[in-house]
Amino acid sequence: LPAGLSQWFPALEVLDVSGTGLAEMGTELLSLPCLHTLLAKNNRLGGPGSLPKGLGQAPLARSLRVLNLSGNRFAEVPPALLRLRGLRSLSLGGNRLHGIPPDIQELHSLEFLYLGGNFITAIPPELAKLPSLRYLVLCDNKIQSIPPQLAQLDSLRSLSLHNNLLTYLPREILNLVHLEELSLRGNPLVVRFVRDLTYNPPSLQELAGRTVKTRNVPYAPSDLPESLVRYLSLASNCPNPKCGGVYFDSCVRQIKFVDFCGKYRLPLMHYLCSPECSSPFSSASQSSTSQSESDSEDEASVAAHRMQKVLLG
Amino acid sequence: MEQPVQTEMLKARSLEELVRILHQIFAEDKVSVEEVQALMESYESNPEEWLKYAKFDQYRYTRNLVDSGNGKFNLMILCWGEGHGSSIHDHTDSHCFMKILQGNLKETLFEWPEKKMNGEMTKKSERVLRENQCAYINDSIGLHRVENISHTETAVSLHLYSPPFDTCNTFDQRTGHKHKVTMTFYSQFGERTVC
Repeated sequence: LPAGLSQWFPALEVLDVSGTGLAEMGTELLSLPCLHTLLAKNNRLGGPGSLPKGLGQAPLARSLRVLNLSGNRFAEVPPALLRLRGLRSLSLGGNRLHGIPPDIQELHSLEFLYLGGNFITAIPPELAKLPSLRYLVLCDNKIQSIPPQLAQLDSLRSLSLHNNLLTYLPREILNLVHLEELSLRGNPLVVRFVRDLTYNPPSLQELAGRTVKTRNVPYAPSDLPESLVRYLSLASNCPNPKCGGVYFDSCVRQIKFVDFCGKYRLPLMHYLCSPECSSPFSSASQSSTSQSESDSEDEASVAAHRMQKVLLG
Repeated sequence: MEQPVQTEMLKARSLEELVRILHQIFAEDKVSVEEVQALMESYESNPEEWLKYAKFDQYRYTRNLVDSGNGKFNLMILCWGEGHGSSIHDHTDSHCFMKILQGNLKETLFEWPEKKMNGEMTKKSERVLRENQCAYINDSIGLHRVENISHTETAVSLHLYSPPFDTCNTFDQRTGHKHKVTMTFYSQFGERTVC
């Protein structure tokens, strides 16, 4: 960045230095108090000096709303970037990122996050702590699974996951009530029903814990070691509505397919408390016309109907 | 398709002129695909002329109607953000011309899925279209997916469909199953359509 930039243009709000071969952005940035948009795509940024020291204390940390660093050489998200608390829109598309730092949650004003075209293999659950996130792009990466916590992204309207390594999605994805756009093509999604039951039998501790919970055995913190009180608080409810049981660590992973408009079947990962729960709710209430492999949960079909619009292809 | 009725090479020097010549061409009974494609390719994209139609949406590509061709064709501008792509779709028995005005678009051609088939659709070919290139497709050629694969640049394309249509089928690449959809315009003649 040219020296004296902030002296000549103290009121600068938008700075576009894209395609200039920039390898470093220096301290000039720190004295631009009005800057809300910084576009620096297609440069040579990514090394240690890419962002100036002291960024967290500069006025920029509060004023910057839009930052575009796509098409550079970042191998990791620079920690300094996470101090930009006012940031609404961040693009790091087309870089060399291998992961997303859990501290991404510090960018609590973030609404738009573009991370497509990197080498990301996993998504930290902390990403779900971004309360205003509306648009999340993770396409063209190497992601193998989506943490179920992502369902906490209440504001999410669009999720781009195409061209990754996903074989299934967590069933919680259906809880994203505002999700209108979901791209999944180019993933090796499981197509056939998977009777994958690498079921490790529950430990004695687990069996005892299940009994305490399902029989409502009363207990007080003074009755048990703290570790067991904590353990009991981690019980998860079996999603099988006919079960009402709980599980702790020992659960059955099963992929069930949710029908989208009868044509597109999405493999969702369910956790059930025992192999008995996994037999598809084959009781008399099951409609005779439904497919034996498809899921007939009401809430799933409502969510499916909502998302059918752009899920296809 | 129809035989060419004129052999002279028409050149459109502006978007306005392109629209005017298209109206002339489509007023005739017979229209030549080659002629339309050459005409569209001849127009050198000038953003000043189409910027007012180029309305982007954050979440997906947009369709912005430019001219309704006296009912003979629809001319529209599509705006693709980074990573935006379409589903695999057909063209409801119409002719489709697609010219790149800015950026690049990847076009992947697919075979029609066979009736009994219940497996992955067959990719025929793929190519990246550059600025000012014009592609053509119709249902007898096959199906296609169009996407902006850039993570740094947006793309803008000019589409002509004749006859106009507002529904088509989208296809699931993994199974070949199709689903009818209705298409809408994000804006018409430069004005945002609120629905």
